[in-house]
Amino acid sequence: MIKVKNLKHSYNKDGKYAVNDISFEVKEGEIFGFLGPSGAGKSTTQGILTGLLQIQEGEVEVTGYNVRKIDNKMFNKIGMSFEQSNVYSKMSALENLEFYRKLFDVKTREPQDLINLVGLDGKENKKAGEFSKGMKHRLTFARSMINYPELWFLDEPTTGLDPAIASKIKNIIKEENEKGTTIFLTTHNMHIADELCDRVAFIVDGEIKLIDSPRNLKLQYGDKLVEVEYVMDGKTIKEKLSTVMDDDKKKLTYIIEHYSIETMHTKEATLEEIFIKVTGRELV
Amino acid sequence: MKLWYSFLKELKLSSKSFYFYIEIGMALFLLALLLLVIPNEFNTKTTQYLFLDLDESLSTQMIESYKSADLDGNIEDVNVKANGVKHDTKLYVTETEKVYIVSSKEALLDISKSEKKLGVIVTLKDNLLKYDYYLQGYETEKYENFFKILHNNSGQIDKSTLETQRVMKLSEDLNILSDRENVIPSLLTFNGSLMGLFIIAAYVFLDKKEGIVTAYAVTASKVWVYLMSKVGVLMLTSVFTSLLLIIPVMGFGPNYALILIFLLASGFFSSALGLVVTSFYENIMQAFGVIYLIMVAMLLPNIAYFIPSWSPLWIKFIPSYYFLYAFKEGLVSHGNTGFVLMSAGGLLLLGCVLFVFANYRFKKTLTVSA
Repeated sequence: MIKVKNLKHSYNKDGKYAVNDISFEVKEGEIFGFLGPSGAGKSTTQGILTGLLQIQEGEVEVTGYNVRKIDNKMFNKIGMSFEQSNVYSKMSALENLEFYRKLFDVKTREPQDLINLVGLDGKENKKAGEFSKGMKHRLTFARSMINYPELWFLDEPTTGLDPAIASKIKNIIKEENEKGTTIFLTTHNMHIADELCDRVAFIVDGEIKLIDSPRNLKLQYGDKLVEVEYVMDGKTIKEKLSTVMDDDKKKLTYIIEHYSIETMHTKEATLEEIFIKVTGRELV
Repeated sequence: MKLWYSFLKELKLSSKSFYFYIEIGMALFLLALLLLVIPNEFNTKTTQYLFLDLDESLSTQMIESYKSADLDGNIEDVNVKANGVKHDTKLYVTETEKVYIVSSKEALLDISKSEKKLGVIVTLKDNLLKYDYYLQGYETEKYENFFKILHNNSGQIDKSTLETQRVMKLSEDLNILSDRENVIPSLLTFNGSLMGLFIIAAYVFLDKKEGIVTAYAVTASKVWVYLMSKVGVLMLTSVFTSLLLIIPVMGFGPNYALILIFLLASGFFSSALGLVVTSFYENIMQAFGVIYLIMVAMLLPNIAYFIPSWSPLWIKFIPSYYFLYAFKEGLVSHGNTGFVLMSAGGLLLLGCVLFVFANYRFKKTLTVSA
């Protein structure tokens, strides 16, 4: 669905690359997570894939179209949900979607259905300018689905949403993926990536550090840990200890034998911890 | 169809926008100016203050001649205040001048200086009337000399020479616009067309600010459709606001078909020019200087329009020169249709070139902020 080969991009064409020689492929039907901190090159890559930025070096193919010579028909196959809401503030939610559906040459969804889907029912005739940030975000998200996209670009789809709505959005993403939609998810939220993605790419300073499935990454990079809370000299101590490293195993045995254990459970490494371990960078 | 839907959407949005009401408000303001402030004909009567330093019989004789020329035969007693002193005068209004007859030389000099008008003292010398003119001091030498020869009765007019000189009119059926109507082309150029240049920039920058342009860029619609829908709205509002100015003042006299053609062409040209400027900047603050400069340059041909004797060749290269004269030809009955159509064609062609260039620029820059 997406093929990227040796992609490079420099905003000032001064040899400083926002994206530096990256290559990856996204298979049909998968959810591909593009993870990295702010300024890592996520948006630049996504901009090039969606034709919002002109490609400079490398080769990119999206839904069978070469982005070097963008054919407008390509946009019939893709949907794009932006991190920053960008809807017509002087038009109602329904008017916004009614207008956008007319800009595609393919079968489109019923605007009211989409409004209901993202939980904005009852607000369809309210001006988008009067919406809260979260409501605007949902409207932007709904708009990106209007043309039944084969490839769906999602940029931070749950940012700024309360947990209940975020959960609803995640369910929609899962359902659409089950129907066969390929999803390119850009985020710095490792929890949503862990929950949704079939594969993830870690990008830092314009370079992809690794690509794999969250499960494989956990197996490969995650230590098996035990989190134990015990009482020593009247104080509760909390420690994380490896179940494979000899020193930690000995220490755990010692704690069990000499102190009163309050809680103890095994803990897998999170994707965020793996990211920090692999890239040496925090996700901020 | 995408163009039609985009146009309808732009129309709906513009009707809800601040700028649309600026255009309408400005048109109404200019209309009020035309109807309430600008007279149908500007007053071209000269005003002079006259003191007759003559004996009573001669004075009476001269006053009688003014009285006979007075439009209504009613002589008004008017108090004219100068330097805090009220002076009694008698006002005679003829077809070409307003003459105030004052009672003393001192009063004449006071009033003339205070009102900055011509002062004349008539005396009798060697049995001939002698005229002393008092000017303000800033008048040209030619003007001064004119008064020196004005009452020169010694010059003989050679009647045979007079008969060999002919003065002819090129057009006998020429309908000339009144002073008020003559102002309309200038207002149409400013409000109908040049405002479009500024307002289309405002619309595009507003879309950029809201990020709408980016959302539009990932649809199956083309950039030129987006741009053309905005141009269409500007053309329509330009027609609407222009008719708002013309109809109440001129009724059904003008050639509306011709005016409509030219309004659409000039509106298209101005909007396309606005788009080209907009494509180089990120926000209206950055673009304001250039837009302002273009508008000032486009207003320069107004000088040539109102002072026809000043019309250098270079001013004819400014497109708004043709706006003014084409609008004028559309307003007068039996106007020069060929000139209007040629000007409209030229602007349309120029507008197309600008639009194609703007489309090229926007395709490269519309969504790129870095």
